[in-house]
Amino acid sequence: MGFEELDHTADVLMRVQGATVDEVFEDAARAMFSLMYGTCEDGGIVRSLSMESEDLESLLHDFLSELLYISDAENIVFCSFDVDVSGTSLSAVLRGDAFDPDRHGGGTIVKGVSYSGLRIVKEDETYVLDILFDI
Amino acid sequence: MFEGVKRAGPLEWVVPVGFVPNMRVPGRFFLSDELARTLEEGAVRQLANVATMPGIVKHSLAMPDIHWGYGFPIGGVAAFDMAEGVISPGGVGFDINCGVRLVTSPLTENDIFRTKRELIEEIFRVVPTGVGARSPLNLSNRDLTEVMVSGAGWAVEHGYGMEPDVAYCEEQGAMPHAEPDAVSAKARQRGLPQAGTLGAGNHFLEIQVVREVLDPKAAAAFGLSEGQICFMIHCGSRGLGHQVCTDHLKILEGATKRYGISLPDRQLACAPVNSPEGRSYFGAMACAANYAWANRQIIMHMTRTVIERMYRIDYAEMKLVYDVAHNVAKYERHVVDGTTLEVCVHRKGATRAFGPGAPDIPQAYAAVGQPVIIPGSMGTSSYLLSGTETAMERTFGSTCHGAGRVMSRTAAKKEVRGRELRNQLAREGIYVRARHEAVLAEEAPEAYKPSSEVVRVVDEVGLSRLVARLEPLGVIKG
Repeated sequence: MGFEELDHTADVLMRVQGATVDEVFEDAARAMFSLMYGTCEDGGIVRSLSMESEDLESLLHDFLSELLYISDAENIVFCSFDVDVSGTSLSAVLRGDAFDPDRHGGGTIVKGVSYSGLRIVKEDETYVLDILFDI
Repeated sequence: MFEGVKRAGPLEWVVPVGFVPNMRVPGRFFLSDELARTLEEGAVRQLANVATMPGIVKHSLAMPDIHWGYGFPIGGVAAFDMAEGVISPGGVGFDINCGVRLVTSPLTENDIFRTKRELIEEIFRVVPTGVGARSPLNLSNRDLTEVMVSGAGWAVEHGYGMEPDVAYCEEQGAMPHAEPDAVSAKARQRGLPQAGTLGAGNHFLEIQVVREVLDPKAAAAFGLSEGQICFMIHCGSRGLGHQVCTDHLKILEGATKRYGISLPDRQLACAPVNSPEGRSYFGAMACAANYAWANRQIIMHMTRTVIERMYRIDYAEMKLVYDVAHNVAKYERHVVDGTTLEVCVHRKGATRAFGPGAPDIPQAYAAVGQPVIIPGSMGTSSYLLSGTETAMERTFGSTCHGAGRVMSRTAAKKEVRGRELRNQLAREGIYVRARHEAVLAEEAPEAYKPSSEVVRVVDEVGLSRLVARLEPLGVIKG
């Protein structure tokens, strides 16, 4: 269902909505990468990862933090995310492109994902998440 | 003002115990009525949340650039007892030792008037800037370990600067207790290619002119005079610091539960200062802080070489006034109600402002207090101030750190277009260079509190004294 940027003076607050938890994870990742690099096309780079955490919010935090790390360390701009959450663990396939300053340099650096207010809630049939990125 | 917050003076407010449940001490912040108009309730709540943390001493403080962050408010200062208290990455932030340095030159405005644009373009070419910028240094893992222990000193030893530079950095450019083993392989991997890069967001490098000297004695001690060209560097510990914060936040989340600490916000995850987890975070944070000092030292060197070449002045004539950290935790000694205590002071978006005669400040500044450097937002004045006795007595030797945002990025982008802003600044004689226009709109001066008002408040309260006002002539944005 996607994401939108809410008003927050210092950092970036995103509202992410999805029909499933998997979708919330995927759109949270998409939100973060759009903030960092603007638009992106699949350039044929594929990574997969799996992880486990103590609760769902920690899992999301760890997932996004891991993406930040891979992106920064390996110069990869991810644009497509296929996430399968099961309880408090996940497996994900990520697709992206090599970083190119001309095409991907228009965003900002996300320094970290905040735990403040991080909660996934179910409203009617939709999962809603407000997430704060430190920029 | 919000319900429950009490005025304690013309520029001072108290958040009484009970504002949020389980506060151990009151909150206190410094703010003018003008600045109070843009204060968010979330920021006051965060200030109160900090007051619930074990071992907090005296009060949870915030400077006049207080605003809503995560964990601690931005502008937050809190000291924790070394025996009973805690240490928290939420009181430092992801960008460990984000800080500022100011460098003087023998040049005047006339000397660079015709070549300002060329100068900015040349610095922009030499200093790696923006998202994805990579270092020209080819550091080995062993080099990185030395950087994390020796900070600015490592850079000087390897040709990026002069011997006296390190004496003019807070902590002489390297905090003790750095523990490279507490820094993960991931943090190292991110740090290796980023040493000597400016980064993005609100980080910048500016060519400035000293427009106004407000305290001639202190300005003379700091080596500043009216009309003089200076440059200022604002950046931090890059991906290495971000990863250290992320890694240790996770460890301390576990520790919070293990030590039975209950907190109102997960981002305040903490552990006793002297616990293995607390020590480990401090050791890793010190490594990131030292990396940041090396980073600013290397960028200063790059800039000096450009100016030396373009204007045929001597490298040694460009003197480092000082380098301050504004996101950091330190072990310090402070007198609290007549007793000297060793405390762990957290400054998150706050600057150390040690007064005259304080230990740990350069001998040359002993009579006037340490230089406090307050960067303006893009296109607005920056300020040089001096530390005071009052700061030592009232705020654990701390003052404000900058302008503080009042407008979100989304709002700023709606209000301002990058190209228009560039033209507007050009009309004011300020040449701006950034990789992308969008960055400019987000960092537009309108998005920030006026730094003039923030520094006026700290000067009037006495937390630091105004020394000089510097205006930008050219800006490089990350």
